[in-house]
Amino acid sequence: MSDTLLSVRGLRTVFDTRAGRVCAVDGVDVDVRRGECLGVVGESGSGKSVTFASVMGLVRSPGRIDGGEIVFDGRDLRKLTPREMRAVRGKDIAMTMQDALTALNPALTVGEQLAEVLEAHDETLGTGRSGRARAIRARSMEMLGLVGIPSAENRLGQYPHEFSGGMRQRIMIAIALACRPKLLIADEPTTALDVTIQAQVLELISDIREKLGMSVVLITHDLGIVAEHCDRVMVMYAGQVVEQGPTAQVIGSTSHPYTRGLLGSIPRLSMRGQPIHPIEGQVPDLIDLPPQCRFYSRCTERTQACLAPVAMHEAGAGHMARCIRVGERTQ
Amino acid sequence: MTTPLLDVRHLTKDYKGRRSLAQRLTGVPQTVLRAVNDVSLSIERGEILGLIGESGCGKSTLGRAILRLHEPTSGRVTFDGTDVTALQHDALKTMRRRMQIIFQDPYASLNPRRTVAEIVGLPLKLHGLAASEEEVRAKTGAMIEKVGLKANQLDRYPHQFSGGQRQRIGIARALISNPEFIVCDEPVSALDVSIQAQIIQLLLELKRDMGLTYLFISHDISVIGYLSDRVAVMYLGEIVEMGPVDAVLSRPRHPYTQSLMSAVPDLDAVGHRGRVRLKGELPSPLDPPPGCKFHTRCPLAVDRCRTAAPRPESVGDDHIAACHRLSENLSLLDEARP
Repeated sequence: MSDTLLSVRGLRTVFDTRAGRVCAVDGVDVDVRRGECLGVVGESGSGKSVTFASVMGLVRSPGRIDGGEIVFDGRDLRKLTPREMRAVRGKDIAMTMQDALTALNPALTVGEQLAEVLEAHDETLGTGRSGRARAIRARSMEMLGLVGIPSAENRLGQYPHEFSGGMRQRIMIAIALACRPKLLIADEPTTALDVTIQAQVLELISDIREKLGMSVVLITHDLGIVAEHCDRVMVMYAGQVVEQGPTAQVIGSTSHPYTRGLLGSIPRLSMRGQPIHPIEGQVPDLIDLPPQCRFYSRCTERTQACLAPVAMHEAGAGHMARCIRVGERTQ
Repeated sequence: MTTPLLDVRHLTKDYKGRRSLAQRLTGVPQTVLRAVNDVSLSIERGEILGLIGESGCGKSTLGRAILRLHEPTSGRVTFDGTDVTALQHDALKTMRRRMQIIFQDPYASLNPRRTVAEIVGLPLKLHGLAASEEEVRAKTGAMIEKVGLKANQLDRYPHQFSGGQRQRIGIARALISNPEFIVCDEPVSALDVSIQAQIIQLLLELKRDMGLTYLFISHDISVIGYLSDRVAVMYLGEIVEMGPVDAVLSRPRHPYTQSLMSAVPDLDAVGHRGRVRLKGELPSPLDPPPGCKFHTRCPLAVDRCRTAAPRPESVGDDHIAACHRLSENLSLLDEARP
């Protein structure tokens, strides 16, 4: 069994809009190893969510995957039929969405929504009708217990609106984990939550990851969360991966000016009185991008040579950055 | 001691639930949500008071009640020696020129059918601060440039701007009447990190240049800690701890502040660290727990906390906290260290 669970190569996802073709994901390479937690960081529009929606086969028209390879557990997901893909989605790879209230069905009880996943994917629950129903109920209660929702018995019959924001996020995680997936993609699982609840949800995901030995992709814009919870991190900017590597290295010896800019923009308690350094300017329009480095217009370290396309450069063991000046800094 | 610019005493804000005629006739009691409960605080001229708390704790309501955008139920707000809560129409309008607000959502707080010139210029007209249309235009253009936009963007509409630029428009509108005090209600929460830093920097520069005083409301402790002089921590409508930023954030005394501090994801701590785990979630403000409102989630709660509400006590220089167990000097943070 290979150590790599998910391997994405050259992924390109485009959206054809009236204004032109938007290349939301442009040549993304990423690996997720078994049992690891990969953090994916970037600002709105950087392509972090679209990358993993592409992995899930959830990109809808006018968007489509224009190229690349998505190998999950030895199979190229892009070559599967829609039917085969449905069997993988929800069972082997599960995803939780940022906004639990809109992601859950308001007209079905939590128990019904949990049962739906189990009905669709779980063959181990037996075949007899009443035995199967009992098994599904038992497993649903077990899942709610796992995500820390008390009195699961009563809660199964309730609707999403009867739960608080933190509880809804837990329910979505319970549904995602119901079939014991090998990979959980958590898209901004805590953005809508308060810090004390955020801490509870993140610890829950970490605990379950250890317990079930699954891999987690944590999509977030918060580098603090990455620092505390992820083994490796990938930073995205304008549809490309700009830096990737072990968390301690990416945060400790940052190699891309954008990542450095992000870190410098975060107000820290330890930096009181010192100026913060915002990244000037704005993310470029993704329609008709020039071939140059995409961070060129905002970069404080740019040179003439940055006007040519930039490839990933090695910055350390397993640490890459899309910047031609990486070498100068590591010396 | 100098008189503070803003002084708030025992401010309370209730929202009353609606009852149908049938419910009124059958004597169903009216539900009352106490969003802000007996809050007292003061802000010196030139100071930034940071107000932290989780969603639903009443921090935005407090900001609006101070400006009388939402009428306070009881209590008094004094601004530069004038009792704001007693002001009538015209006097209140005059006072509003000096007290302004910047809103959280740069999409919802600007009228999509008005140009930037109209939005930013309106306060000048309302308060009669410009003699002619030309003067309005000139002042609006100058203000727009002060917040980092260009004067040639005056005739555009809000949708033609990005989120960060819209927030600059909101700031220009708040500042054009040359106010002294601004309530910043989560002004950077809807923005991406790199843009957030630009706006924070802008607000600090404007404060310095125009001699402003801020009540800065945020749920982001890092932002509050970075820019505030003093901090107030709110939980279920009450201030549980308040004091100089260094004291409150580095030596928090209230168990709620301690758990907030330990919940902030920290860039400087790669890998796991000890964490105070709070049980449960914020209780419903419609049915707040008796005694100390934090007791349902507090790891240190004892019997007394369930019955009697603690009074704020002094725990240091200008530093107060409301907890029954302050004298025992307990810290959740020490226990949580691995």
